Amino acid sequence: MKAINLLLFLFLFHLQLRANQPNDSVTTVSIKAIAGMQFDVVRFNVKPGAKVKLIFSNADDMSHNLLITKPGARMEVVDAALKLGEKGIALSYIPQLPSVLWSIPVISPGESMTITFTVPEKPGIYPFVCTYPGHGFIMYGAMYVTEEAMPPLKDDQNIPPNRRMEMDKGSTAGHSAHLMQSHPYKDVPPYLYRTFIQDSGPAAIAVRLPQRLSYFWDAGECRLRYATSGEFLDMKELWAGHRQAVARNLGQIFYRDKTEYPLRTGSPGNIPEVQFKGYKLINRYPEFHYLINGIDVYELIKEKTDGSGLLRTFRIPKANQSVWFVFSPDDGIDYAFSGGKLSDGKLELSPAGARQFTISMTKNGGAL
Amino acid sequence: MRLLSGTLLCVLLQISGSIIMGASAQNKLPGSSYSVESISMPEGLSAEVGAIEFLPDGTLVTCFLRGEVMLYYPKTKKWKLFAEGLQEPLGILPLSHSEFIVMQRPELTRIKDLDGDGKADLYETVTDEFGISGNYHEFNYGPVKDKNGNLFIGLNSASSGGGILKEVRGVLDSTTMKQKGQMFSPVPYRGWIMKLTPQGKLIPYASGFRSPNGLGFDLKGNLFATDNQGDWVGTSTLFHVQEGNFYGHPSALVWKKSWKGENPLTFPVEKLDSMRTKASVLFPHGIMANSPTQPVSDATKGKFGPFAGQMFIGEMNSARIVRVMLEEVAGVIQGACIPFIDGNGLRKGNNRLAFAPDGSLWVGQAEHGWAGSKGIQRIVFNGKLPAEIYSMSLTKTGFKLKFTQPLDITSASDPANYKFRHYYYNYHKKYGSDQVDVQVVPVTAVKLSTDRKEVIVTLNTLKPGYVYELLLGDIKTSQGVPLGNKLVCYTVNVLAE
Repeated sequence: MKAINLLLFLFLFHLQLRANQPNDSVTTVSIKAIAGMQFDVVRFNVKPGAKVKLIFSNADDMSHNLLITKPGARMEVVDAALKLGEKGIALSYIPQLPSVLWSIPVISPGESMTITFTVPEKPGIYPFVCTYPGHGFIMYGAMYVTEEAMPPLKDDQNIPPNRRMEMDKGSTAGHSAHLMQSHPYKDVPPYLYRTFIQDSGPAAIAVRLPQRLSYFWDAGECRLRYATSGEFLDMKELWAGHRQAVARNLGQIFYRDKTEYPLRTGSPGNIPEVQFKGYKLINRYPEFHYLINGIDVYELIKEKTDGSGLLRTFRIPKANQSVWFVFSPDDGIDYAFSGGKLSDGKLELSPAGARQFTISMTKNGGAL
Repeated sequence: MRLLSGTLLCVLLQISGSIIMGASAQNKLPGSSYSVESISMPEGLSAEVGAIEFLPDGTLVTCFLRGEVMLYYPKTKKWKLFAEGLQEPLGILPLSHSEFIVMQRPELTRIKDLDGDGKADLYETVTDEFGISGNYHEFNYGPVKDKNGNLFIGLNSASSGGGILKEVRGVLDSTTMKQKGQMFSPVPYRGWIMKLTPQGKLIPYASGFRSPNGLGFDLKGNLFATDNQGDWVGTSTLFHVQEGNFYGHPSALVWKKSWKGENPLTFPVEKLDSMRTKASVLFPHGIMANSPTQPVSDATKGKFGPFAGQMFIGEMNSARIVRVMLEEVAGVIQGACIPFIDGNGLRKGNNRLAFAPDGSLWVGQAEHGWAGSKGIQRIVFNGKLPAEIYSMSLTKTGFKLKFTQPLDITSASDPANYKFRHYYYNYHKKYGSDQVDVQVVPVTAVKLSTDRKEVIVTLNTLKPGYVYELLLGDIKTSQGVPLGNKLVCYTVNVLAE
């Protein structure tokens, strides 16, 4: 929260600096078109009569232009650009209207273009917008020509509604995600998401358990990667689409698998080939099914009822040789086992013992 | 100001919340052979539609981008949750009321209700033998099933607008990465359409796709895929997908067996051009479609009106469904496209299409950070024959146009009512292409058939490699009804023999 406020302060301070520049110098503004049909800078302020150097670069995967219009003329210009129809391509979707003050033609992904202009002496809110067909309804921002400060972001009607909450990111995201209904049903743990998440391969399964516990299982590697307590996930960025994003983990990591791979068959040094076969929901808990060196393994992870950690039950019904469960001493966990023989930091299970065994993983507060 | 401006105006009005104007646009449409109804969606659902399909009894099967699979019973208008937690499911193949195959980000997954409580409890991997880099644009499409039980899935290329995750699934090949504005293929078979045999073997089938957000068959069983305008795609396309062919986006070539380590993005354009298979239909950008989606064929035998056997394709970018008329010319499938529904209460974001057993066409909408919308609508044929071009086919000297109704002799016989121009699109790494060599093509003769439903148009010249765009003038039916859509574009790849 503090960091955000500091950033906000620096940002405003920076803009203040800009606005304080004398009129004969040039104020440089860089705006990028970014994924999600938006400009990275959604508003900025300059002093009346200031000379502005506007650098527009296209970091998106679609073509975009940038037009600055007279106050209140955004929709009129967007409408006129649409009406250009097939002639629009040649005109870069820039309608010839007095309300278009300055414009940068359509540029392709990766390109950039700069224009310099002198803003009017008349204070006002001058919209900037991409008028490529379909874009102008959501892809816009505002240039404030003013000596004053801009209004609070959350109240700014001159920027897209989804951009008004930005500064709250990180501080209340988890909270708001919590309050907002995300599905046509209530999320009652246990439940899961197939998703992208940090510190995992891309085929991740994020599972929410009762007792405010969560774990993250990698279906590419067929293994538990880490577990958390506290809040679960913020899916907002990912669900918005059209941008590079992962689901944000809002919990505290209390366990992380630091082994090369936790299960071994045949010999304890043998890292198996794995294949993900899917999962079955048992009372809504997923039981993962995968192969290690061609042998079926089933893994069911539950919360310990007192919330102190996880209970991990493995079934290897056709085990025909010894199975080892490997773990590292600094993974945040105190272990207890339903069977097997512990030696050299590894649990060895006989083929019969490997048919079903449970590992109790209690968090020990170790730093990760 | 051709048709598109009207469409976009309608979109604009909907966006700005002017419901009254939207409604008047609907009433203005002559004839109204089709009506558009909106389906009420369950509360709390972000109704971005990834898939819609029907079971034979009329139950609608849907996927939504936040991972839900839901069933909808049109008779009772009730929704039921079947599965949850999937990642961006973009296709579903119903096997029964309790078993489906879903295409999601990480896998093609069989979901099944084992205990009969109406909810899936088995999520079984059908195939995950393809890579994922975590790039946001690596959408997966399909599955569609051919007559022999093979499934086809489409794997989107990765976008230069985003990176990849630290850990990827599959072999990482960075050859095509970090090239300015170029979609890339960092892990196996990005930019490919894959075939999954009934025995479960996943085979790379065809390559060179940028963003094939829509797979489907014609009624003869030919496989088609759309692709979206962008780098190497001058304007959006409909491809006839055949085994072993390359369809133009170079990045996918790194996974071709015989490819020898070169960067396909810097390969000579002439060479790439000679390797590629051209689109059966080009959708002129800004005129016909900017982001075509799923093709579906009309197998309703007339329940959906006069276009039985033809293809309908969704358009994300505007409130439009496009109709496609295909034919085989000298062994090559090519044809024409024409707007079908434009506005008329339809929203934009038309991502998924499916015909219901009652012959209505259902449309699921999405936006996902692009121009679009949410929800499901249903297009119903009212039984009133529309006044439209029925088909457009190539002759040795021009085109034969068939109409759904007999035409008024005077207006239909006037060559001034047939305005042709042609143009082509460049094949290059740049994002999209302008229309090149735009020329008016003089009409030398027009001949109306005795039943007044067919017009043979003779052109001064006819060249392969061009889109022939026809704008009809004020032609009316014999009953005085103006034609609903007057702009049609035919992609001439080959000339008639």
